[in-house]
Amino acid sequence: MAVVAWLGQRTIDGYTYLVDLTGLVYLSLRELVTPGRQGRGEALRVITRQILFTGLDALPVVSAIALMLGFIIITQAGTQLPKVGAGALLGNIIVVVVIRELGPLLTAFIVVGRSGTAIATELGNMRVGQEVAALELMGVRVTRLIVMPRLVGMVIAMVCLTLYFDAVAVLGGFVVAKAELTVPFEVFAQAVTHSLSLMDVVVTAVKSVLFGMAVATICCHHGLSVRSSYTEVPQQTTRAMINSVTICLILDILVTVTAYF
Amino acid sequence: MNLAVELLDLCLDWEDQELQVQLSLSVEVAEFLALVGPNRSGRGLLLRLCAGLISPSRGTVRVLGRELSQLSEEELVALRLRIGIVLQQPGLLSNMTVFDNVALPLRYHGAMPESAIQSLVTARLDTLGLTPLRNRFPAQLNAGEARCTAIVRALIMDQELLLLEDPTEGLDAEMIQRLGQHFAECRRTRSLTILATMRAFSPLMETADRVAFMRGGRLEAVARHQDLLAMADAGMKQYLTAPGIPEQSL
Repeated sequence: MAVVAWLGQRTIDGYTYLVDLTGLVYLSLRELVTPGRQGRGEALRVITRQILFTGLDALPVVSAIALMLGFIIITQAGTQLPKVGAGALLGNIIVVVVIRELGPLLTAFIVVGRSGTAIATELGNMRVGQEVAALELMGVRVTRLIVMPRLVGMVIAMVCLTLYFDAVAVLGGFVVAKAELTVPFEVFAQAVTHSLSLMDVVVTAVKSVLFGMAVATICCHHGLSVRSSYTEVPQQTTRAMINSVTICLILDILVTVTAYF
Repeated sequence: MNLAVELLDLCLDWEDQELQVQLSLSVEVAEFLALVGPNRSGRGLLLRLCAGLISPSRGTVRVLGRELSQLSEEELVALRLRIGIVLQQPGLLSNMTVFDNVALPLRYHGAMPESAIQSLVTARLDTLGLTPLRNRFPAQLNAGEARCTAIVRALIMDQELLLLEDPTEGLDAEMIQRLGQHFAECRRTRSLTILATMRAFSPLMETADRVAFMRGGRLEAVARHQDLLAMADAGMKQYLTAPGIPEQSL
């Protein structure tokens, strides 16, 4: 009986959590399309800062991870596939593994680790320091000045970073792995472009938009859930990180199943 | 009589502090009322009631002519634009400089062009001697400087009512004097009403039109500072004259 009660409570909690997240996304998107100049300039500044922090500042780490991933996959595929007579599938493997799946997912994980935790921590500290309360008392809408700009900035940065990750992983990985491969670059490039369809690019972009929205919303939600103590900040940040990764994986499965089955 | 704040037959059970606030009080436009009392007297709750942050169990809270219980969320937000509120924690945004913190309400509400914002904020910072701090971040300020910055920000949109919680905490004598002069100027030129809580005597108390003494959630006396001193018992006198925090709790 206790197990049933526990399961029931967990289900209700999960449902409530998803409703809260959906509500926050709705309010943020509503702020984005609401007419009026109120807070536009300030929101634009926050969006720019978010793009710079999430996108530009992450380029070195994204480049390094993309290069290493590209090197590993291209080396493995390029050396193992010809042994079983499947060398022609090199392009397919790279498109499926790197561009469709690992590119968006690993970029999302990097963003969760760098920017998602930063957002949750920043907002948590703002809560404890009464900064959020002070904003509300000044008639400033938190969804307009805090949540919406972070969501928009993170989505833009995530899409750009994902495309950058894919390009570096495929091209950079090939250059790094060239010593191990017998395949000339022209053949490699032709195999990749031949396997890459518009659908792949669209699905990758859709995934990165959804991941960006999910990570920003979850991290803002947990940051703003901090009530009165600084000890809650790391707790909420950890929850934000774990939930972001989990929901990104679930979204990835949903998009992949919807697009390719 | 033109009232800025009107509290009628107010009753609030505050379980967290095991406190029951019961009182009626009114503050006229352009009046400065100091609310004094020991810890857990309910003065902070009273301030939050006026700001619409909490609701009473019974009674009426009317601020700037609007009854708070009748207002929708959006109307309450609109009313708060006419009220400056500085609670115990100043709530300055830690990633913004003093200047940007003060300019934030103007920029957010699109009240004026950037050039006008620059000159207005500079002038207001200068009033309280904060101009040298304009490029500092809140973490680089002491408690008094942060509080003064929050007060300047709370008045930057020419608010009609100013609600302050312990405004002189952390302020030195010179800052308190400047603050008193600034308040007097605002009250004279644009009829600013001030409701400020204090937990101990402060020179600012002497500049108030009336002082209200609270104890255990009840209003014990409201009068001019000198009149209140004349009628005060020994316990009350500690809060009206003695500098610093009273050692003996009432």
